Amino acid sequence: MDISEAPAVNSRRRGNPVSRILSSIRDGNGFDILLVAAPLVFLVLLAGLPLIYNVLMSFQQVDMFTLGAWIRPFAGFDNYISVISQPEFPLVVRNTIIFVVGSMAGQFVLGFALALFFAQNFPGAATIRGLFLVSWVMPGLVVGAIWSWILAGDFGVLNAILRSLGLIEAAIFWKSDPNFSIWAVTIANIWLGLAFNMLLLSVGLAAIPKELYEAAALDGANAWKRFLTITLPMMRPTIGAVLSLGLIGTLQQFDLFPAITEGGPANSSTVAQYWAWQMSFTLYDFARGATISVMMFVLVLFASILYVRSTRSEVRG
Amino acid sequence: MSNVQIELTGVDKHYGQFHALKDINLSIEKGTFVALVGPSGCGKSTLLRSLAGLETITGGTMKIAGEVMNDVPPRKRDVAMVFQSYALYPHMRVAENLTYSLRLKGTPKEQALAAAEEVARTTGLSHLLGRFPRELSGGQRQRVAMGRAIIRHPKAFLFDEPLSNLDAALRVHMRKEIRALHDRLGATSVYVTHDQVEAMTMADRVVVMRDGVIEQEGAPLELYDKPASRFVAGFIGSPAMNFVPAMISEDGQAVLLDLPDAPRLPIGRALEPGRRVSAGLRPEHLTVTNAETAALRLPVGVVESTGSMTYISSGTDPEITVVIHGRSPLSAGEVMGLTIAPENVHLFDVESERVI
Ligand SMILES: Nc1ncnc2c1ncn2[C@@H]1O[C@H](COP(=O)(O)OP(=O)(O)OP(=O)(O)O)[C@@H](O)[C@H]1O
Ligand SMILES: [Mg+2]
Repeated sequence: MDISEAPAVNSRRRGNPVSRILSSIRDGNGFDILLVAAPLVFLVLLAGLPLIYNVLMSFQQVDMFTLGAWIRPFAGFDNYISVISQPEFPLVVRNTIIFVVGSMAGQFVLGFALALFFAQNFPGAATIRGLFLVSWVMPGLVVGAIWSWILAGDFGVLNAILRSLGLIEAAIFWKSDPNFSIWAVTIANIWLGLAFNMLLLSVGLAAIPKELYEAAALDGANAWKRFLTITLPMMRPTIGAVLSLGLIGTLQQFDLFPAITEGGPANSSTVAQYWAWQMSFTLYDFARGATISVMMFVLVLFASILYVRSTRSEVRG
Repeated sequence: MSNVQIELTGVDKHYGQFHALKDINLSIEKGTFVALVGPSGCGKSTLLRSLAGLETITGGTMKIAGEVMNDVPPRKRDVAMVFQSYALYPHMRVAENLTYSLRLKGTPKEQALAAAEEVARTTGLSHLLGRFPRELSGGQRQRVAMGRAIIRHPKAFLFDEPLSNLDAALRVHMRKEIRALHDRLGATSVYVTHDQVEAMTMADRVVVMRDGVIEQEGAPLELYDKPASRFVAGFIGSPAMNFVPAMISEDGQAVLLDLPDAPRLPIGRALEPGRRVSAGLRPEHLTVTNAETAALRLPVGVVESTGSMTYISSGTDPEITVVIHGRSPLSAGEVMGLTIAPENVHLFDVESERVI
């Protein structure tokens, strides 16, 4: 065996450059480099370049004639100043904060509650949990249309339920009342993101060894203390990831707005990402549209850093 | 009141259809070290976890320190358990692991820390208090798990195969250490192991289980000298007892082994002639003598020596193993003569496998 194989190895070592590269791809560093390079090329082409183009555009004067160019007149921070001084800017910021904080809090709290509930291992738990994925599979536009009916002021199901529970007297016009319109979209978005949150948190919960809870119970901890001293600290990386991904997902959420409120009435439910779209594609003001998305990108970048850090700080021994 | 710390009466445990513990009766005196042994799946862990309250029993009564515990949750039972996996809290440092139970009780911080330092001293962890479990070796984790139990002064210590993840040398060492700790604390301990040597060397009482039933309970040497069943006889002692099918002789005073030439071994008492039995002969009770005159003459199959001990197996079916101290001049193919004292011949019923 040894003797017959030795010459083969030698000839491969000494082979011509092409076969050397091929053999390095087969079983050397070449394969690793190939694996890294493929997604990198993909990322640069489909995410990197558009991103750079977008940032570039936010510092330029853009009009219909220079739309296809890379090089345009430099505008400094003019676009940023103009965006911030728009009369609707404070309203959009307020809406965005409500939408992001409300969605994330709702998705996380309800998702965690459901994850804990389904972790109790009652008969059928796994099956019912699986059904929740429905919300994740459905396109945002469809979810938006369904919630649009649920939230309808005159014939909506939500109003009917609230009224029969005695919580409200008159119908709430969720979509057309400026006080409620942003909440209408937020509620739909909470539902949309619930399954994702629940699933990630369920996985985190399942990764905590059962014996830790048993040891804690024997050490005298009741259920609440076990949650505080075992579950929460052990879930820290998962919670960090869920919140960061939640922030990113919420800032990306677009479909619900055209389906439910179209940002109205009177911009009362316009959030940053919808505003950016309106600027670019209904007003054709691409520079300001790009400027808004760069502002949002900075936020997402911040969330991504948090996410990477939270997944890095694994506590599990 | 009596000195009984743990008392089980008619305890049953079902997992659905599966009957894991069957009518367990056991009483454990305060201060004793009890070992639960038995083959894998016999219900040792189930019994221990029932004591801890991590499993609810489906029948019978379980008392700890005189109180019925059947429906008391684990946190109110005041027992401590050392898990096979140690179950240390990975996100807490050693000191926090040790003081967890005290902090839950609201013990002031300095007092808890002082207790942790005290326990760390007795378990040799003083220099490791600031480390996380992942930064410890297996043996050190084991000590932390022990320390976490000790710091509470519980009514009973429960151990579930605590040493099985350690290497052989450390295991022998920790065996002594655990026993010494038990004695120093005057604790009551229940110790699950599948290693009968561990059970024999550490325990005051050994409980042998099989298929959810207690086969026999007693002092280690009692189990060795007077096994109640063929199962216990085969389980206790290393190397294991030799079993040979046999028949009681015509005069009832001896057994005739089912081996070539039907060797005859006196049993020192009279039994029903012609009865079929299983004869149990411990390897260390057989002595090699003159092959000409011995009652039991067997061909030598394999001779293995560790230097201090020699293991000789016969080339017969069933195989007979003999252990002798020192070395043996015998070699394969020769014939060896063996004798055994009549009181060392154990006889078991063929049907019930109980001792006769
Ligand atoms: N949760 C459970 N559901 C169903 N059956 C179980 C459960 N836990 C244990 N059993 C069964 O009960 C029996 C006893 O299990 P147990 O864990 O007590 O064995 P053991 O004596 O500790 O074995 P080992 O030495 O392998 O740890 C086994 O046959 C096992 O299959
Ligand atoms: Mg077990």
